[in-house]
Amino acid sequence: MQDRNAVQAEHLWLSFGSDEPILQDVSFSIPEGSITAIIGPNGSGKTTLLKVLLGFLSPQKGKVWVLGKTPQQARGEVAYVPQRFTFDKTFPITVLEFLQLSHPHCSKEKIAQYLGHLSIAETLPMKLGSLSGGQLQRVLIERSMLGDPKVLFLDEPSAGIDIAGAQTFYELVSHLHREHGSTVVMVSHELDVVANYADLVLCLNRKLVCQGRPEQVLTSDSLKELYGKEAALYHHRHQEG
Amino acid sequence: MEFLAIFDLPFMQRALMAGVALGLILPFLGVFVTLRRMSFFGDGIAHATLAGVAIGIIAGFSPFIAALGIGVLFGAAVFLLERKTNISSDALIGVLFTGSLALGIVLISLQHGYQPELLSFLFGSILSVSSQDLSIILVFSAVIFVILLKLVRQFTLLALDKDTAWLYKVRIELLDFIFYELVCVTIVLGVKLLGIILVSALLIIPPTIAKMLAPSFKTLIFGSVIAGEVFIVVGLMLSYLLDLPSGATIILVGAVVFLLVAASRMVLPS
Repeated sequence: MQDRNAVQAEHLWLSFGSDEPILQDVSFSIPEGSITAIIGPNGSGKTTLLKVLLGFLSPQKGKVWVLGKTPQQARGEVAYVPQRFTFDKTFPITVLEFLQLSHPHCSKEKIAQYLGHLSIAETLPMKLGSLSGGQLQRVLIERSMLGDPKVLFLDEPSAGIDIAGAQTFYELVSHLHREHGSTVVMVSHELDVVANYADLVLCLNRKLVCQGRPEQVLTSDSLKELYGKEAALYHHRHQEG
Repeated sequence: MEFLAIFDLPFMQRALMAGVALGLILPFLGVFVTLRRMSFFGDGIAHATLAGVAIGIIAGFSPFIAALGIGVLFGAAVFLLERKTNISSDALIGVLFTGSLALGIVLISLQHGYQPELLSFLFGSILSVSSQDLSIILVFSAVIFVILLKLVRQFTLLALDKDTAWLYKVRIELLDFIFYELVCVTIVLGVKLLGIILVSALLIIPPTIAKMLAPSFKTLIFGSVIAGEVFIVVGLMLSYLLDLPSGATIILVGAVVFLLVAASRMVLPS
């Protein structure tokens, strides 16, 4: 693989049981330091693809390299913010304890400093289960960034956050991306976000339908092919607006 | 403080030492068992040990050691079958523990006459902790406690967020296996004092109480252990003074405290 690719996938095939394969001959390269968005309709294999890139799932055919290594070997250099972090909300664990679980050598001061950047310094002694959806997503972002990952994977990270919160969240991701130089790979349903923040867009509907810069990919024809006519209409109206 | 004189009795000293050791590791492990919603696993192991007790009685060697062997096998069997079949964990545990329990009952029925040892395993007995049993309990408890201290972070991460644990190079399968075996061995150690039927309660009640009160994870662990120790000491004393079964009295103390704390949480503002 090329040295300057943070992630490379070659001819990925994956199916669950006898169903139609959820990933069908998917190949792409993600340059280092870029923000890449994976878009597509529900059930198009976006989250599955992310799990393959992370090494949580193994493809039946094809290969994945992350930072020139297998996903297993790249562990410790990548981080992940899930779509929905489910846990027992009654479980008494503070934000500080939660963050120190995955970063035991991180001092309280460093953690507090990071939380300050994310405008949630006050959450440090709070119980994780008492946080709002937006605060929890920021804590998860902080957890992912504390290890200075080279590649950050986000799976619809603003799901469950209101519009203003989502906007702030993506500005934060963009800021962290600039500050740390990490490669960001995110699954997103929000085409506005993709247009504003992504350098590269991968359009997935079990197969890779198209890929390129947002202005090349987020066209009526591409979106119609990917989502059907409603999305193309949305895009048209959005442009008019 | 005359009632403390009961601890001058050798069998009470053995029971107290065994109880304090168990009060340290059962609630500590119980924090992770409750977090992982594995309470049925603990109950299953306890019941499955009856087969070990029966084998020990029939074969004429220590039922305690035989029960430890069955406990270790139970943990390994659940671990492997969970991964090699698509059967759900609770169904597996249900099948294995009832099968093992049935084997124990059949084996016991082959023995003629009254089986006092069997009753002590079923309901626990402060009189039944021999010096050899005490040595086994102390050594195993010390080893398990050290392992828990070493792996507390990994076990917590594993229980809260397996994906992240994997990304941070936690050896998930190995740690899961260690956890299963620790729970199995700890439960069997507790059977002597608390009995097959009640031992898993000391795994569950202390962390459940501590969870209602603790402001952080550290205090949850400390609170669980302290609660466990208090129940054991108070329960042992009451069981001796009132001539009650030790295991049942210890658990009853825990259950009463649980009800009081739960009631206070309902009445008082949080």
